[in-house]
Amino acid sequence: MKRIFAVLSALLLALSLCACGAEQAQDAQLFAMDTIMDFEAYGTGAGDALSDSKAEIIRLEKLLSRTKESSEITKINDQAGTPTEVDAEVASLLKSALEYSAATNGAYDITVAPIVSAWGFIGGDYRVPSQEELNGLLKDVGYGRITLSGTTVTLGAGQSVDLGGIAKGYASDRIAVIYAKDGVTSGMISLGGNVWVCGKKPDGTDWRVAVQDPNDSSAYVGILSLSDAFAVTSGAYQRNFTQDGKTYHHIIDPTTGYPAESGLTSVTIVAKNGTMSDAFSTALFVAGKDKAISFWRSGKYDFDMVLVTSDKQVLVTSGIAGQFEKAEGSGYAYETIG
Amino acid sequence: MKPSVKLKPAPWDALVILIILAAAVASGLYFWGQSRGAEGDLTAVISQDGKVIQTVDLTTMKEDHTEITVGGAYTNVIELERDRVRMESSDCPTQDCVHTGWISRPGQSIVCLPNRLVVELVGGGSPDVDVVIG
Repeated sequence: MKRIFAVLSALLLALSLCACGAEQAQDAQLFAMDTIMDFEAYGTGAGDALSDSKAEIIRLEKLLSRTKESSEITKINDQAGTPTEVDAEVASLLKSALEYSAATNGAYDITVAPIVSAWGFIGGDYRVPSQEELNGLLKDVGYGRITLSGTTVTLGAGQSVDLGGIAKGYASDRIAVIYAKDGVTSGMISLGGNVWVCGKKPDGTDWRVAVQDPNDSSAYVGILSLSDAFAVTSGAYQRNFTQDGKTYHHIIDPTTGYPAESGLTSVTIVAKNGTMSDAFSTALFVAGKDKAISFWRSGKYDFDMVLVTSDKQVLVTSGIAGQFEKAEGSGYAYETIG
Repeated sequence: MKPSVKLKPAPWDALVILIILAAAVASGLYFWGQSRGAEGDLTAVISQDGKVIQTVDLTTMKEDHTEITVGGAYTNVIELERDRVRMESSDCPTQDCVHTGWISRPGQSIVCLPNRLVVELVGGGSPDVDVVIG
């Protein structure tokens, strides 16, 4: 009897100590790519994963920033109109960007960058450009004028590209590779709204990812239970300014040059690919509810989504409906899209 | 058959058992208490450049309302109440932080990129979410 007690006590003592140690998270924060990035990792490889992740983000920022003199993107833009040899990784990312542009009929378009700049959404000096100015800039918008052959890219004369719409998504894909390499099987990152959850939580349950309510900063429209998934939200409320009583947000419709007015207030994409999720969250916000739903139904790409409309509907596609917990009393009408 | 080994309970045996039991219970309570504490009160964690500069337990805060001014490249004024926080004002060019409005749930945050300032809510009872997107 005594021995049993002794063994039990020792076990209890050991357990009470190690349960806490095993769940110890390591985290890091970084300001890069014009946003804030949070990294969290559990387990023995966590330290390596965090330092490797930070180094990777800094490398990608140097490679992809449109505002950095030495970046590949600056090189392409400076030589618009003439064939330019680029880094293989950048060529491959451009290829993805062009594919997503074509798939969404240009609702996502990397050549819209000069218009986004004209509105001040890149520099931070917000302003409403004149229609004349927009008309001039719109002439050079059109991903179809970009040619990519191997690692040689040629922009149309006067064109300028920005991979900002997929750079964070691509970065999240790269971090997923790094976590795997460093042996991390549980963790989470948020690169300015681009979330990736690695495996499950240390306690074996899914990660609880809340989707912000676009109309109420202190509320959610619902909570997604996810494991090994990328989730990205595009919303009109994220970056905007008000002038003469009218609010202008940062998601520009490449056809009008104005902030997209599609009847959606946010689009959340959930998929196994961060780059694609990032591109589609922007594209489907611009495209609007009906086009977004038919694009999803086409089944051409494997993803799920949560759409929030300005008339207070929350539409969740069937692939994640079972993992979506509605917010009680939110005032939204919830519907599953099949 | 001989009885395997002797062993009559000696007084110090009981003492050892008691000490082990007490240690187990105490360490259990200590760590349980620690994690409870971290997840207990709704707390605003204010950090700049990735370093925590101040934490405010909103639940046990003395005043109903208080303000904290943070300097740096720009000046931000954070307004704190018992159950919520907002960026009351900022002289940064984008005003994204001010536009965010009030936040009241653990996991939510307000970011002022130009001043590299983050106000994050943690704790607040059962942490029902791990991350907020959007």
